[in-house]
Amino acid sequence: MTLQGVSNAFLVISFALYTLSFFGFVIAVTGSKWSNRDPEMHKKKWGRLAFGVTLAGWLAHVIFFITRWVYAGHIPISNMFEFMTFLGMMIILAFIVLYLIYGSPVTGVFAVPAGVVILGYASVFPWDVQPLVPSLNSHWLKIHVSLAAGGEAFFAIGFAAGLMYLLRTVDFQSKEKAARRERKGVEFTLYVVLVVVAFISLVFIFRGAGFEAVFLQEQAVETDDGEIQYVEEEVLYTLPPLFKPNHSELVSITPMLGMKDALFETPSFFQGVNAGRKWNTFVLSALAGLLLYALLRLVFRKPLGAVIQPVMKDMDPEDLDEISYRSIAIGFPIFTLGALIFAMIYAHIAWSRFWGWDPKEVWALITWLFYSAYLHLRLSRGWYGKKSSWLAVIGFVIVMFTLIGVNLVIAGLHSYAGV
Amino acid sequence: MIENTKCECGHQNPVDTVLCEACGKPLGDEDGTGVLEMRYDGVARRSQRKKRTLLDQVWSFFSSVKVAVYLIIITLCLAVLGTIYPQENTFIGLDPAEYYAENHGTLGQIYYALGLSRTYESWWFLGLLVMIGTSLVVCSLDRVLPLYRALNKQQVRKHPQFLARQRVVYRDKLFGIEDEDDPERRRQREEEWLNRFAERLRKKFYRVYVRDSALMAEKNRFSRWGPYINHIGLIIFLLAALMRTIIPGWYLDEYVSIMEGDIQRLPGTNYYLKNEKFTVEFYGEDEMSPELWEQGRIIPKLFETKAVLYECVRYCDDESAESPELEERLRHDIRVNDPLKYEGVMAYQFDYQFTPQILSIQVELKDRETGQSYGSFDLVTNNPDTSYAVGPYELSLINYYPDFAYENGKPTTKSSRPNAPAYIFSIKGPGVEDGTVHMYFPRPEDKARFAQDRVNEAAGSPFIIEAANMEDVEIALYTTFLNIRVDRGMPFIWIGAAICMIGLVMGFYWHHRRIWIRLDEGQLLLGAHTNKNWYGLRHEIAAALADLGIQVDPKSLVNEVNRS
Repeated sequence: MTLQGVSNAFLVISFALYTLSFFGFVIAVTGSKWSNRDPEMHKKKWGRLAFGVTLAGWLAHVIFFITRWVYAGHIPISNMFEFMTFLGMMIILAFIVLYLIYGSPVTGVFAVPAGVVILGYASVFPWDVQPLVPSLNSHWLKIHVSLAAGGEAFFAIGFAAGLMYLLRTVDFQSKEKAARRERKGVEFTLYVVLVVVAFISLVFIFRGAGFEAVFLQEQAVETDDGEIQYVEEEVLYTLPPLFKPNHSELVSITPMLGMKDALFETPSFFQGVNAGRKWNTFVLSALAGLLLYALLRLVFRKPLGAVIQPVMKDMDPEDLDEISYRSIAIGFPIFTLGALIFAMIYAHIAWSRFWGWDPKEVWALITWLFYSAYLHLRLSRGWYGKKSSWLAVIGFVIVMFTLIGVNLVIAGLHSYAGV
Repeated sequence: MIENTKCECGHQNPVDTVLCEACGKPLGDEDGTGVLEMRYDGVARRSQRKKRTLLDQVWSFFSSVKVAVYLIIITLCLAVLGTIYPQENTFIGLDPAEYYAENHGTLGQIYYALGLSRTYESWWFLGLLVMIGTSLVVCSLDRVLPLYRALNKQQVRKHPQFLARQRVVYRDKLFGIEDEDDPERRRQREEEWLNRFAERLRKKFYRVYVRDSALMAEKNRFSRWGPYINHIGLIIFLLAALMRTIIPGWYLDEYVSIMEGDIQRLPGTNYYLKNEKFTVEFYGEDEMSPELWEQGRIIPKLFETKAVLYECVRYCDDESAESPELEERLRHDIRVNDPLKYEGVMAYQFDYQFTPQILSIQVELKDRETGQSYGSFDLVTNNPDTSYAVGPYELSLINYYPDFAYENGKPTTKSSRPNAPAYIFSIKGPGVEDGTVHMYFPRPEDKARFAQDRVNEAAGSPFIIEAANMEDVEIALYTTFLNIRVDRGMPFIWIGAAICMIGLVMGFYWHHRRIWIRLDEGQLLLGAHTNKNWYGLRHEIAAALADLGIQVDPKSLVNEVNRS
């Protein structure tokens, strides 16, 4: 087995261990009411066990990281796959830190799956090692990216704990308008998580089935002389084409479910590289997420939030609020240093200016501004509890958009990290 | 009306004080039961004055955290708008109005018309940044001085209401002490108990004061200054960013393109830079995974300009007749991520172009009939010499056209770049005493295009000039594009960022904690305050109490009033 094979195997092992530890945490929290058990003892025993498995998974994750570093010859944080696996590693590390402070197994029920989902998302991207382009060949890359990911990992835990707080405190009985709105918000957040899960599943299902559809797209390209030329370009779909690229013809398609051609065409106002494919993937994931959500609703016959809430009953909401806030407070300086200050030093050396209003830079600033608003509202205006938790949830959505959305939707200098 | 601001403890407070500066008794809300507002320890702040002048009103506007948060949120939203479409500065040489209409349709036109295509240079965006800066200054001044005063003169024994209305409260009877009838002995035992508690807290790095059957313990007060230090850093940062564009000579952003072997003055400076060689490398098959290699991906590995920096010491201005006198200052291989730096001037590798051009060529003068060689000489494309001696012959350069072309039948040059160099010599010597005109094109394609040999024959030249062999041709392959920068504000930017970071770490990784205890005839009343991490504070107090034999669940220390 090559070193690359060993390295990838360790990533798979860590993924499996995380998943296992998630179930361990679930048992630790829900199983305390099982018959013939001392609830405290049960919680402690299973919590410790699950935490041990998490640690083992993290160790495997670190081995993956180091071995990949060795055979790639450079720190593996330079493309989307590498960055996302690193972010997953940081999220688990942040969880470990907060578990050691608060010793609460319930955090694991949410933080560990957050890491698992991120790892799953990472695995969708090509696993190949890519050589470093000159602009990435810098020590500042290591410091900038790793610290930024570290800060974002704490924001992820802040999100997980904030969501837990909401699930714990939102009233699923009340008919009041405010309660109804909160329920909708919680359901929507859970739906978004399901969309991500659906996306990962779709990619793996159709990759496993070997699905491919090829389109020939006519694109207008401006030449150096300012003339418009039409070029035909091949676009490869690995998911069933609901939307084909704008101005395109089907070339070939793997026979599946009697699908002959795409049903719709991507509207022309979607710009950018592979806009058609991205739009198609987005719509498919959203629909699959909806299907998944509907299925779960059918099985449980009540809102998903109401399904989860009883699990949270033993959890002290104030502790959750505290963990969420604390996590963000720990992450904020790290994020400032990694995603802004070191990023500015790096930009100053690589691009000759410390700040250039590149979309990625702007979104890092937006993230920072949002969390500074969060902190001011909490520390000076007394926004605790629900308000604060909603902000923690929204904040992480902004973080994820900065990391993924900007690369998918907006072109810019950070596009080498793209899909 | 003159308000009575004297507290019952005898302390004279400034107007609009919320909590007595000395004993902490709530002023104006004596009968309340809710948790006290402990921000800035309830001191009078200018922004909270009830009687206001115009300045007070402006001051109070900018000192409001609510306003600050609004400013942050508005800035955030506008920054989002700016990323919807590319900003104008990301494309060069296109008409922005056309660009947005063509690429983004009607929405693009609206985007452009609203000025969102220049969001980050717009007056409203900069105005917001200035307002945030003002808010930073005012908020900090409004709070830091009163807070400093309040924390600097704290009384140990606080008013019972002050303690009972904290967010962390504990009440208990100290058995054995409350039954003590003798006031003197009771007092002694109270002190004893407090001293034991104090000892316990000192181990946790508290600074503890015990006086009059009361205790005050405090730690990490410096953490309270974190936000203000952070804000000072941000102000320095914003000021530096502003100053560098205002102060002349602080900021320079220019681009130069230098061909290999060429030297050029760096615009706006007194420096010259020579590009000795430019290298571009790509990853080879052995450095890439087989999958990538099969995809035919071309990934660059290195861009490098071997540069020599010269400073002009004499005859520097363009009008002077002499060519400038240069002194070498620095040699550096400029790479991406490794710019050249000299006395604040920086040169960055920005781009390159493949521009093959002849730099110099060694040519031979031959007899056309016999092919006999008379000797060879060097011709350069950049400022060639005007006369050459080859064997018995004397060559003088009558005309040199770097970019040769015919215009209305007359030879001319299209540009000063050596795209199609042409030399016209007058050759004198044995057999051609009166001189003969001879034309020479170094590039084979130009030779054919401009019919060099026919022209020379028609002019009656008995010679041939040709390159001896290809090794004698010196060729420049690349032109390097460098970004020349001067940014004298950078040190202040970094200082601001560093101060900001120090403030953040102080404020977020340490917590200011205070614990007050009052013993009244054996009754223990404990109140505690922190600005963050209440969980940690409760655990610390519970652990300390446990050591003195009082078992409490940390959770139970939460003030019941607060649990509503």
